[in-house]
Amino acid sequence: MRAAIYIASLLLFVIGSPVASAQASPQFAKANQEYAAGDFNAASRDYEELVRARQDTPNLFYNLGNAYFRKKDFGRAILSYERALALDPRHPEAQANLRVARDEARALELIPTELEHLLSLATPNQYAIAAAIAFWICTFCVVAAMFNQARRRGLIAMSILSLSIFAASVFATWKLSRGKNGAGLAVVTAENADARLATADSANRVLTLPAGSEIQILNQRGDWIYAALPNNLRGWMPAKSAEQVQL
Amino acid sequence: MSIHKRYLGIILVLALSLAASRRGFAASPSVTAVLSNSETAVGETVQLEIKVSGANSANVPQEISIDGLQIQQTATSRQFEMRNFDVSSSVTYNYTILPLRSGKFKIPSQTVRIGNDSLRTPEFVLNVTSGSSGSAGATQRGQAAPAASASKLAFAELVVAKKDAYLGEMVPAEIRLGFDPRAHGRLEEGPELSGQGFTTQKLQQPRETMETIGGRTYQVYTFKTAISPARAGKFEIGPVQAKAVVLLPRRPSAPRINRPRSPFDLFNMDDPFSDPFFSDPFGSMGERTELPIRSETATLNVKPLPPNAPQNFSGAIGSFSMTVDAKPKNVQVGDPITITATVSGRGNFDRMNGPALEDEHGWHKYPPSSKFKQDDDVGISGEKTFETVLAPNEKKTAVPPLSFAYFDPVKENYVTLRSDPVPIQVEGGAAPAVAAASAASVVPAPTPATPAPSAKPADILYQLNDLGRVRSFARIYARSTFWIAQLVPLFVLLGFSGWKIRRAKIDNREARRVAGLQQESAELLRKLRRSKLSPQEYFSNASRVARVKTALAKNIDPNAVDAETVARTFDLDENERARLRTLFERTDELRYSGTGNGDKALARDDREEVLNLLESLRA
Repeated sequence: MRAAIYIASLLLFVIGSPVASAQASPQFAKANQEYAAGDFNAASRDYEELVRARQDTPNLFYNLGNAYFRKKDFGRAILSYERALALDPRHPEAQANLRVARDEARALELIPTELEHLLSLATPNQYAIAAAIAFWICTFCVVAAMFNQARRRGLIAMSILSLSIFAASVFATWKLSRGKNGAGLAVVTAENADARLATADSANRVLTLPAGSEIQILNQRGDWIYAALPNNLRGWMPAKSAEQVQL
Repeated sequence: MSIHKRYLGIILVLALSLAASRRGFAASPSVTAVLSNSETAVGETVQLEIKVSGANSANVPQEISIDGLQIQQTATSRQFEMRNFDVSSSVTYNYTILPLRSGKFKIPSQTVRIGNDSLRTPEFVLNVTSGSSGSAGATQRGQAAPAASASKLAFAELVVAKKDAYLGEMVPAEIRLGFDPRAHGRLEEGPELSGQGFTTQKLQQPRETMETIGGRTYQVYTFKTAISPARAGKFEIGPVQAKAVVLLPRRPSAPRINRPRSPFDLFNMDDPFSDPFFSDPFGSMGERTELPIRSETATLNVKPLPPNAPQNFSGAIGSFSMTVDAKPKNVQVGDPITITATVSGRGNFDRMNGPALEDEHGWHKYPPSSKFKQDDDVGISGEKTFETVLAPNEKKTAVPPLSFAYFDPVKENYVTLRSDPVPIQVEGGAAPAVAAASAASVVPAPTPATPAPSAKPADILYQLNDLGRVRSFARIYARSTFWIAQLVPLFVLLGFSGWKIRRAKIDNREARRVAGLQQESAELLRKLRRSKLSPQEYFSNASRVARVKTALAKNIDPNAVDAETVARTFDLDENERARLRTLFERTDELRYSGTGNGDKALARDDREEVLNLLESLRA
């Protein structure tokens, strides 16, 4: 049984790891050359084409962010770095450049809750894998306890422990997926976008957001999005003024 | 039962009739008078009660004329009392006395005529002081003329605190609606304050009080608001208009020509509460009537603000004070500092902008946020807190002073409040970007919802030449591969379960076989103990028992067991081995030779010997 658990764990980790490998792209190399030559417009264009071709790699978004940064388009630069980090939360270069870009743009950030901060020790994917492993260990222990009278007590204790880990992992996955870095995370790409109390340009202003500021989209109505804003505010913004991080 | 009741009713009627007939022979009529209070104040009423006993009616004065007092008969009530079939009646006349001025008044004896008799009430002395009765002050407040005297059931009053104001200044105002409690007034619409050239704060929930105005008690609803003039000049505020529903007594169809005028009917109008309905509310029904209420207007003279306004004046008018604080006080270049400026006092907080930074050089400033905490009902008094985030772009030692300008309508000039510089410590030097990048384990610390605080690196990092592996934004649990992968442990689990179940079944079959052999052995031994078996049967069964026991001990097929196997299995000595061999030989001999056939029984000693041998076979 132990061997079976090992095999299952190994398989799950294999599944959890990236499954596809991007082919060496001439266009990526060309864009890099354009960047090195200082043609940031051409570089960003080529990177964007790769994005449209669904070559979603952390390095591509990171390089794209750099190209936008050089064009002084800090909103899109921050968006690209955020996308790189969404694909690889431990991407060190993207982390570093994101901080630089935020400093330049004076962008506002959403505050993660204390619980989110605590749970950010692992990514949602890692929690999901842990939940799956814990679930199967629990199931195997229960089945084994049914057939093995002698070790029943130990097996039941193990199944309870596994079930607890499963529940905690599911909760962590759910909480992080709905939190600051969840699917609703978006970055303001327009310069000084105004969040308003209602879906009208004449409505009272809640907050003016510099480009690159984080928001969390809660709802969409036509050309307007309702979003959680920094400083624990909420307001309506034009949909075109922000882009979602997760594609 | 019903007959008894009828008799009882007749007796009661007769008794009452007798009592009534005796009334004429009862004690002669008498008069008593009571003054509810001998001390009162101007405007506060007291009651005079004249009670005539022993008569159904009496002729009493409708009015008592005394200089300085207004005395009016307001109600009449009758009482009937029966004691030991002796019925007595009395009639009480109520007078309301309204003192018009202070002093010591003597209410002289009054003549009461009962038929041909003439009786007199005692004399009273009433001391009236000049003490304030809430009405006098209330009606004089503000500029609007009190409307209480104009209408007897309800009134509206607009009280504006000032005659002169500046453009944009918040002027407190009160709207007062009063109802005679007997009319059970209920507000249907309004109150609304009409007029142009000013804005008003939303009316709050009214305060309800009982007040005496003009000697009359009113239930007064006071709505507080504030008026803010939108243009200069002299203009009228009001009137206040409202619509109420009041309860009025039904008017009798015949005109009451002889009824005297009410003492409160100053304008010679009918006082509806002089109606007997109010002294005997069950005597007739009231009717609800819609009553429009309207106040006098108030005049406000609005002056424009002086022209020499400071540069950072944003329209605040009133009287204010300001405190400023900054947190944190020890930061790096680029870190956010929250400046909290609290402006408190009295004025138009809704037009107030935050204090301005006197020197913004070297600072990056974000739009301020503000919150207002009001101390009163209409938001004229309170404190407004402005939070501004500043980020130093260079080394600084203090947050520059903040200035706030407002116009003081009392001093009639502009005032500029200026805060002291708040000392802070700004550490310079930006951490290089490479350092940040090389620390792969560095996770951006959770920051407040302010600009990203960090040491500002010089530049972004290099481009990466490796495109890397394509990844998905979708969470792992949203991918089909994740769920397909779950089939692997599922199949392993199913295989494990199947194997375990099969093992259990096999174990069960073996158990059944063992049980069958044990049963067979026991059954054969029981047969061997019987004496009726033929020698062939006896030896055959005995050898079978030996084989079964050996099979159980060694978990083998009993048919494959011979004498030697039995001996080895149970580790028999030579004597037992010889006996066992003999047993097996005799069995074969009897089975195959047929010499032992017949009904000749085996000797008892032989049987005992065989049985002892078999019982000695124990593993």
